[in-house]
Order: sequence, then structure tokens, then C-alpha cells
Amino acid sequence: MRVLLVEDDLDMAASLKASLTADSHDVDHAGDGETGEQMALNGAYDVIVLDRMLPKKQGVSIVRDLRGKGVSTPVLILSALHDEDHRIEGLNAGANDYLGKPFSTRELLARVRALWHGRDLGPQTRLQVNGLEMDLLARTVKRDGKKLDLQPREFRLLEYLMRNAGETVTRKMLLENVWDYHFDPQTNVIDVHISRLRSKIDRDFGQTLLHTVRGSGYRLGG
Amino acid sequence: MRPRLDALLRTTTFRLALVQAGVVLAFVVVMLIYVYFSTVGQLIRDSDALADQEYATLERAYAEGGMRRLNQEVVERAARQGPFLYVLAESDGSIVTGDFQQLPAAPRETPERVDFSFERVDETGASVRGRASGRVGRLINGPILLVARDLGDSAVIAGRITRVLWTVAIVGLIVSLVSGLLAATQAARRAEALSTTAREVMSGDLSRRAPVRGAGDEFDELAQSMNDMLNRLEQLMHTTRTAGDAIAHDLRSPLTRFRQKLEAALEQPPNSDADREALRKALDEADLLFNMFAAVLKLSRVETASNWTFHRVDVTGILRELLEFYEPVAEEQGLGFLGEVQDSLVLQGDQGLFTQAVSNLVENALKYTPTGGRVEVRAVRRPDSRIEITVLDSGPGVPVADRDRIMERFVRLESARSTAGVGLGLSLVAAVARLHKGGLHLRDGLDNGAGKGLAAALVLPVTTS
Repeated sequence: MRVLLVEDDLDMAASLKASLTADSHDVDHAGDGETGEQMALNGAYDVIVLDRMLPKKQGVSIVRDLRGKGVSTPVLILSALHDEDHRIEGLNAGANDYLGKPFSTRELLARVRALWHGRDLGPQTRLQVNGLEMDLLARTVKRDGKKLDLQPREFRLLEYLMRNAGETVTRKMLLENVWDYHFDPQTNVIDVHISRLRSKIDRDFGQTLLHTVRGSGYRLGG
Repeated sequence: MRPRLDALLRTTTFRLALVQAGVVLAFVVVMLIYVYFSTVGQLIRDSDALADQEYATLERAYAEGGMRRLNQEVVERAARQGPFLYVLAESDGSIVTGDFQQLPAAPRETPERVDFSFERVDETGASVRGRASGRVGRLINGPILLVARDLGDSAVIAGRITRVLWTVAIVGLIVSLVSGLLAATQAARRAEALSTTAREVMSGDLSRRAPVRGAGDEFDELAQSMNDMLNRLEQLMHTTRTAGDAIAHDLRSPLTRFRQKLEAALEQPPNSDADREALRKALDEADLLFNMFAAVLKLSRVETASNWTFHRVDVTGILRELLEFYEPVAEEQGLGFLGEVQDSLVLQGDQGLFTQAVSNLVENALKYTPTGGRVEVRAVRRPDSRIEITVLDSGPGVPVADRDRIMERFVRLESARSTAGVGLGLSLVAAVARLHKGGLHLRDGLDNGAGKGLAAALVLPVTTS
């Protein structure tokens, strides 16, 4: 997919560009806010990765103006300011995700892919991954036609994994999107939730769907 | 240190002493006037009454026997050694007879009171000065009669009384000035002691304390307040210093490991598996460092930032979600996990911080409680309408002596060294509690047969305003 990277730190930009390219994206780079905004308006990008603190125009203003001009390309803001207030300000301006610095490259790549996934989905009533089916209206889950009994939170966890099927999702992404928690638990609580879910959707079936991606997170299917 | 005199004279105490001396002086003057009139005045009034009687007697003699009889009476009476003085003069003022060679006071038509000083020769030939008071007037057909009483003794008494009163006034004045000066010296000395303490503290010795004499006076109170303030400052300084040392110390270990891993990998011949493993480990150390930085920054922001906007926090909802969130972890660790959360607990605060604070307490309990133990979370609205969220465990507990200490930054007990963590969890909870005008209290928790476990109680007011 085509990614626009707006980042004024050239070392950082080169490193991010290399990582995104290695993850098979086409990357254009802008070094300041105004150039970045022009490129976003003119080019057809799938995802925009935007630093918050930029010369000439701040990241949050760029998102606000892009949204005002009808550009709905998913935006991920990178920021050294990742307090709750700053995050909410960024999201309110129209950003789709907000990632605090420092972050791991894997985290960034996973989020870029998740944004791209989220873009095309629109309102859906059914999700399907291999033999796993989820009915969002009836709130039921079946695998190979067999009904699975999930708790409400397990349902939301699985829903998020299914929406990002085939892609790696990090623990942080699960924590933010499934529980709306914005702190780092010191316990392996996410792993425990995943292993519970796994015991329900995978244990009685031959093929494993929910994979652990070492050092990153989890992946459903693929 | 001896206070200088001019500094002394400027002190409030000395000014008060001056005012006091003025008041004493005014009081003595009033007393003096009162005593003078009630003693000397009375003596003169008594003497005047006697002079009036004498005058009336002579007036009667004149009425009965005319000028000749009066003249005779006056000559006889003047010759007697009595307290009375007489003068009889013709209507033109020329002296007929009497104690004086001329009229000491001019007569009027009606007899009136006179008061005069005189000088005369007594029987021994010595000249005496005196004061007299009496009555002078014209009789029928013009002769002038003066009858007065020598105030001699009365004047002496009056003089003595006046002198005593003046002495009292002056002594009083001196005493009040001296005592004022002494009090001022004392006050200046004690103020100086406070200043000295302040200067010593400023020059870097934060352990100095102002002397408290135990008299319970205003200086003791001031010294005590100053000492309390210094205690708080010293504690804060200590915390900061300890935190600084701890940051340096705690960062050194992961940094050292980080460096070692990279260096060790570089020294080995290239081996892609071993290199990748070294890089992965170095990355873990870097993440740990970043987490520590993030935790320190967050803690500082909670402790120092003033721009928090508080919103409605659904305590009951958040706690029930956290319980649901951590329940699988407890189950996996073989712990009993129980939550008793009252309905509709709500407070004004920061939801993110509140959630993180409770989560830290729950994670601590889960982390330190061995398999087979119990963890309980209770939330109640107390009778004082504060909300108390208690996380109890049946773990090894924390000795009473260490309970305050483990809420400080980076403090980890020796027994906790083997578990993951950077020692900022409880500090953050305590800081969040302070931000919400509440507190974090550590108590005995659940009985585990061998000990008491630990209970961490987060007590928060419903509103901070």
C-alpha cells in the first residue's frame, strides 16, 4: 500500500521508510508540515503517518485541515507527547490512531496495517476467517458450523482479531482497542486472555487459527 | 550573637515598651493630681474654714465695738503665737496694725479668698518665707481686714506627697523602659536564633532546626512551624536525592547489560543466530529503559502538573471491568480472586490515572501473592462519604516499618528484587491519591497462616473542590 510519512527527523524518517518499505509498502516522505499536507491532498495514499511536532505546521492541525477538506485517509500520529490529553486531542482532530514515542518498529508496522484494514471494512454484519464465522448482530460465533460460547469481552477480543485477520496485532493494540486501557500492565494479562480465547476457538479443532507472533503479538489466520 | 542597640530600638517589642511607659506616665500624673487634691487640697480647705471663722469673729467685734475694739482684738491676736496672720488697714490701704507692713492682696467689696506667699521676721529674728491662705474684705465704713492661716505644715506635707508621686512616676517610667528594653532584647535574641537557623539552612545544612524552649509562647510556635516546614523540605529533598540516586542506579544496570550484550556479540565471530539473539536481548533492555523513563515522566507529571481537568469517574464500572480484566490472571496463578464493589460509586477525577492506580495495586497483589493465596478488591463509600478502594492479599506482606518507604520512588524491598518491576508502581498510586486530595494507606491484609498479607487502601474524596 502507499504510505505518506511526514517526519522532520531525517534519521528517524530514513529508518522508518526502510522498515515500511521492507514491509512491502510504497513510501513517500515529507520533511515538514506544509509539504506533508500538500502531498496528502494531492496524492492517493492508503495511510498517512504523521509526526506531531513538525516545522511549519503541526501534525494535529494538518489532520484537522485534511478532514475539513474531505480527505478521509487513515492517519496515524506519532508523538513524544503521549499523555491522555494529547492523545485525545489528536484523535478528536480526526486521527485514527496515536502512537507514543519511543515505539517499536513492529508496533508501528502492525498499526499501519490495521489502519489500512479498518479503512475498507465499513459497516459489516458478518466476519469470516477460514472456518470461523462471527455474526455481529446476533453476537454469535461458530467454527466449522459449531457454536462457540464466548464471554462479551472474549467476543470483542475475537472481533478485533478477525477484523485484522492475517495481520499481526500487538498487545498494546489489543489493550487500547478491546479494553480501552492506556497503560502497560506489568503482568501477562493479555496473554492469559488470549490463551483463554484460544482454548475456546482452537482446542477442539485440528487447525490452529490464533498464532503467537514472537516478540510482537498475535495473529489470527494467515 | 548580640543584637545591636539601634536594631533593638527598632524592634516591635521596644516600641510596645515605649507605649507602655507613656501609659504608666499618664496614669501616674492622673494619680498625682487626685492625691494632691484629696490631701493638700483638703488641708487648705480646712485651714480656710478656720480663717473664715476668725474673720467672722473679728467682723462681729467691729460691729459691736467699732474700730477701736477691732484694733484691740487684732493687736492681741497678732501678738499670740498662733497659726493666724492678721492685717488691719484703713479704707485707703494704710496699715493700722497686723503681721505685715503692707497688704499682701488687694481687697474687694465683699470678702474673698486669698492665697499668697509672704516673708516675715519671726520671734528669733530670722526671716521666714511661707504660704498663707485666708480671706480679705472691707468692713462697714471702709476698713480692710485680712485674716489668713500660715500653710506651713500643710505645704510641707503637700511637698512631700508631690515628691513621692514624682519619684514613683520617674521610677515607673524607668522600670517600664528597662523592662521594655529587656523584653526587646529577649525577643530580638529569639528572632535572631530563628534567622540564624534560616541562614544556616540556606547555606546548605538542611538538618538545622530552630530552638524550641518549651515555653509554648509565640516564638516557640513560630520555631515549631519553621521546624515542621524544614522537616517537610528535608524529606522532599531526601526523596528527590534518593530518587536521583535510584534513577542513576536503576538505569545503570539495564544500561550495563545493554552495552555488554552488544559488546559480547561484536567480539564473537559473526554468527547470525547468536547475533540476532544478542540484538533481541539488547532490545528488551532498551524497552525496559524506556518503560522506566516513561514511568518517571508520568510520575513527575502527576506530582507537579497543575493543569489536570477532572471529570466524572465511574468508579464502580471501572473497578468491575478491572476485576474482569485480571480475573483470568488470578485463576492462572491459582489465586482466589474476589471483588466486592458497591453500586454507583462516582467521583471527580482523572479516569486514566484512577484506572492505572487501581490496576497497579491489583497487579502488585497478583505479583506478590504465592499460589493458593487470595486477592480481594473492595470498594465502599465510607460514612465520611469518601470512597475507599482496598486491595487485600494474603502474600508475604510488608513490615510496618517499611510501609511508608515503599511508597517512595524506586524503593523496592530486598524480597521483591527477584520480581519484575522498577519500583514506581506504588509511588504513582500515592501520587494519584495526592492529586485527588486523597491518600494511600498500607495495612495488614488477609491472614495467610504465617503472616498478615498486605492491604492497600486508596481513599479518595468524591470531589476535590
